[in-house]
Amino acid sequence: MEVVLNWLANSPDFAVPYALAALGLILSERSGVLSLGAEGLMLVGALIGVGAQLAFGAEGISLFLAMLAASAVSLLFAMMVIVLRVNQVIAGLALVFFCQGLTSLLGTLLNWTNQALTGIGAVPFGAMADWPVVGHILFNQNIIVYLTVPIFILATLFLNRSTTGLRLRAVGENPQAADAAGLSVGWYRLGAIVAGAALIGLAGAYMSVYSTKLWVAGMTGGRGWIAVGLVIFARWSPWRALAGALLFGCIEALIPQLAAAGVKLPQYFVLMTPYVVTLGVMVWVAMAKSGHDGEPGALGQPYVREERG
Amino acid sequence: MPVALQLTGIRKTFDGFVALDNAAFSAEWGEVHALLGENGAGKSSLMNIAAGLYAPEAGQMFLDDNPVRLAGPSDAARHHIGMVHQHFKLVRPFTAAENILLGNPISREDGSYRSKLRRMETAIRETAAELGFELDPTKRVAQLSVAEQQRVEILKVLLAGAKILILDEPAAVLTDQESERLLSTVAQLARRGSAVILVTHKMADVKTYADRVTVMRGGRTIDTVDPKVTQAAELVRLTVGEAITSPKRESRTPGEVRLGVRELKSSGAGIALNGVNLQVRAGEIYGLAGVGGNGQGELANAIMGLPALLDGSMELEGLGDLKAASTSERREMQIATIPADRYGLALAGGLSVAENFGIGQVHAGRYGSFWKLAKSKMETDAKEAVKAFDVQGVRSIRQKAALLSGGNAQKLVISREFSKAPKLVLAHSPSRGLDVRASAEVHGRLLAARDAGAAVLLISEDLDEVMSLADRIGVMVRGRIVAEFPQPASRQEIGQAMVDHA
Amino acid sequence: MSDALAPEMTGALAEAAPPGAAPAVIDAAPPAIETEAPRRPRRMPLASRRFSVEIRQLMAWQWQALILAIAILAGMAISAAILIAAGIAPKDLLNEFVVQTFFDKQNFEAVLFQAAPMILIGLAASIAFRARFWNLGLEGQMICGAIAATTVSLYEIGPEATRLPLMFAAAFCAGLLWALGPALLKLRLSVNEIISTLMLNYVASNFLLHLVYGAWKDPKDGFPHSAEFRVFERLPELMHGLSSAILLALIVALVAWWFVDISRAGLYLRFVNSNPRMAHAVGVPVRKMTLAAVLLSGALAGVAGFVVVSGQEGRLTQAFYSGYGFSGILIAFLARNNPLAASVVAILIAGLFVTGRSLQVFYQIPFSMVQLIQAIIVICVASSDFFIRHRLRPVAAKGV
Repeated sequence: MEVVLNWLANSPDFAVPYALAALGLILSERSGVLSLGAEGLMLVGALIGVGAQLAFGAEGISLFLAMLAASAVSLLFAMMVIVLRVNQVIAGLALVFFCQGLTSLLGTLLNWTNQALTGIGAVPFGAMADWPVVGHILFNQNIIVYLTVPIFILATLFLNRSTTGLRLRAVGENPQAADAAGLSVGWYRLGAIVAGAALIGLAGAYMSVYSTKLWVAGMTGGRGWIAVGLVIFARWSPWRALAGALLFGCIEALIPQLAAAGVKLPQYFVLMTPYVVTLGVMVWVAMAKSGHDGEPGALGQPYVREERG
Repeated sequence: MPVALQLTGIRKTFDGFVALDNAAFSAEWGEVHALLGENGAGKSSLMNIAAGLYAPEAGQMFLDDNPVRLAGPSDAARHHIGMVHQHFKLVRPFTAAENILLGNPISREDGSYRSKLRRMETAIRETAAELGFELDPTKRVAQLSVAEQQRVEILKVLLAGAKILILDEPAAVLTDQESERLLSTVAQLARRGSAVILVTHKMADVKTYADRVTVMRGGRTIDTVDPKVTQAAELVRLTVGEAITSPKRESRTPGEVRLGVRELKSSGAGIALNGVNLQVRAGEIYGLAGVGGNGQGELANAIMGLPALLDGSMELEGLGDLKAASTSERREMQIATIPADRYGLALAGGLSVAENFGIGQVHAGRYGSFWKLAKSKMETDAKEAVKAFDVQGVRSIRQKAALLSGGNAQKLVISREFSKAPKLVLAHSPSRGLDVRASAEVHGRLLAARDAGAAVLLISEDLDEVMSLADRIGVMVRGRIVAEFPQPASRQEIGQAMVDHA
Repeated sequence: MSDALAPEMTGALAEAAPPGAAPAVIDAAPPAIETEAPRRPRRMPLASRRFSVEIRQLMAWQWQALILAIAILAGMAISAAILIAAGIAPKDLLNEFVVQTFFDKQNFEAVLFQAAPMILIGLAASIAFRARFWNLGLEGQMICGAIAATTVSLYEIGPEATRLPLMFAAAFCAGLLWALGPALLKLRLSVNEIISTLMLNYVASNFLLHLVYGAWKDPKDGFPHSAEFRVFERLPELMHGLSSAILLALIVALVAWWFVDISRAGLYLRFVNSNPRMAHAVGVPVRKMTLAAVLLSGALAGVAGFVVVSGQEGRLTQAFYSGYGFSGILIAFLARNNPLAASVVAILIAGLFVTGRSLQVFYQIPFSMVQLIQAIIVICVASSDFFIRHRLRPVAAKGV
């Protein structure tokens, strides 16, 4: 019972980075931009989050700066794919490797590596935290876990219940139509990339500031890529992405609990689990033959107006 | 009448190709002004400039005699210019109302998204009723028929406040009856004061509906005349420039059945193919007419061997089941295919002319063994073929195929496909996008193939093309052949067959 | 331009078309259109309006080469700026990167030593990319190749004389098999190969750790690497410090060149790369070619793994593969998937690696600098493509 309780209480902590990163990806991909750079942007968020926390010690500022930094780096990606029409796969990969190199270099040069953060913990949600069972699981989390839910609600409302959301989706489904309707495909995509990057940066900062509480080079360990897979699994729907993120969170949270309960597991096989599950999920989605449901019609295609028509 | 829209001295090039050169055009309030010309004459480019989609390199634009410079389509909309493009600019997963709301001024007003959508739906219903047709604004565009989608496009520009209405080849995707209805609706708009510009290559529509007509050829505007008093022959001369004799079709006695298609059905969802039965004989051209999107593409793909789930049978005389054959086996059966999507299915634009030519016979071992490709032989053959088929613009046999113009690209395809005498020829919209001269040459090749004993299946949305080439004509509607006519066939009856089964 | 982002509306617009505008349109007399043009465009397209951007079909190769050179120079200039900021004196830069690396005999030997696996991994990437398959699983395939080769060594399979060829074959097969899964998933179920190959990298690297921290831990010193290979299990030195590894790599490069440039398969692959639908329609065995290319790619990556463990490290270590995956992609990208060009680029990248190591030792610059430089060069070259593929043309002057 104790194990199950702890497991469930820890799951949101593991789920939040997946959820936020997937949401950021959905935002950008709904505008038609294939964002493979998530892994890199998460690293930027994680590094700047820790750096700012070491410098200022205020979580709000750290998270804000992490989001800002990820957005700033995403401008580079945006310039490549929107203005210079670089193949989005190449641009995304280049961004990941650029961020990996840059963060690892800065982390060492600025001496931010392996500096543990202190004084960050759960915020009990009023009296509800004392409720039996449910209180421990749901209402004794850190602030970002609570915030994730309204962020998802707002994002869904924005995408499906607002004019700007309608336009953003139009740009991703059929940029020619959006252009003919007088929308600037480039600016909408830029906005989506930058806003998405902020969320992805937040996901990274969450990992370093709240979960591990320190920076190590390459600490995201492929979670950005898993989020890319998660978005495909979720067919670009925020709620399905949240459900998928919870699934991954539960799987990841289970491992330390089992180990604590004395179950002997081969350590490195356990570490493979998220990647194997991602593969399994991708295969499952493909077998389910949902085809291209939900996939933005112009995903990955640069928009060129003046081609000979 | 005051001049609504005037364009002077317009120039536009695409990668060195001059699409428009010193083009001039003017439309008045209250008239239907036709813009007539062959494919590639520059009609669409000129109107894309008027609609703010392209920026001209030189020239001026006036609205009500005031000079304007459009910064983009939204700027054009603000100046009450609206264009219905030949290829609809609709977001298929969105509803009609969502599509129309997208660029409509309502979307920029205050108020909740839902209330704006409701207002849009009401406005759509009202305006549709006003124009005399029905449209469910809550239906997704993907579920609408082509004619309904066109209505969405027209409502979109009207509700955005368009008073200068540009329609780019509106009849191309409609049956004769549907286009008649559409054109009288827009003529009615002109009667009430709007300026309607009708881009078309159909003489008949010009004669019936236009108050004035401007003729374009080779990127220039040739003349503006009154279609009511100008002879049709004179209009043709203006459009084409000079008389080109189209190849004469002599009827011949066809041979035995070469291709037999029985009850061919798409087994997946949808009704792409819904039980096609047809026979093409050796030495005849079977013309398949019909409005685009009625399963012609699927039928062509089935014969080419592109992946699809199919029930029913396709037999090639003497060689048996065609359905099970791979694309390379079909090549060995001497099936020549001229697909509609030239750069999608017939040519690899990034590869050389020689490679695009050689790929046709490389499987059969004509160009060396698997271990070593005989490049020089391929290039020699390609050079000869380019000469024999009069493919122009080939500076080097190693240049990219994408550099060829439409007509020459098509000739390259034909040179490859006809390099071994074909038994069956599949030609899908073979003259789409070609100028008159190139079309005539392509048609000549098809007739020559027929005379040499090949069975030719010609699928085309251009009824004129089918009428002039085919020995027998089938009409395809909703994935079935609904009627067959021997030549001489009546244009009227064919058109009626398209409507009756739609 | 920032204000242009907001979809604001101007006053003039508000009256343009109220909801029931259409009836008004129909009834209205010719409306007076307000034309206080030319007004400032509300939202400028991103590549400013003063130029129109057009697709260019062909650019003379001299110009292409010039643009590529400028891009690489720009990338190097940015990298140099970062290195200077990181504390290297500008005068040492040229010395470290060019003089010391390529003109010092000992260092150049180190470059060639490093180049062998680089060439192999670059070829592996080139061949997969030729089939439009994003094989990002090069590192995983390397790991599998290295593990297979090490298995042959640890379990002493076969006589001494055939040990090395057997290790080669094992690595070849293991890399091939590790690529088989993603290839089949892509061809059968259209599973995105970027994700599947990357996930398998993580699986393979964890499996490697499982081995070197577990059963294969060196019995002599207990460190997390396998026992040292025997002399006959190591790629021999030919002469003057030239490893046979580089010879092997060059032979493979020639075979790859034959495959993509001389054989019929090469023509097929060009069609698969240029237009897979068209290729299928004209009878090219697209699926077979894709499968063959991906499997060959995986096999070559496996061989690269074998070359690293048997030619360089002399044992299976826990991070021998790091940095190769991206290097392979970079090499293929810069070489335009051409095997011979890939070999040349691979030698340059090997030089970058060697320099990176000396920077690490002498200037305490982290090795990740190498990755950063690679990424910057990719970004610059990829961006420069825009100027090759497009033409910027000034749009009509004001007053139009």
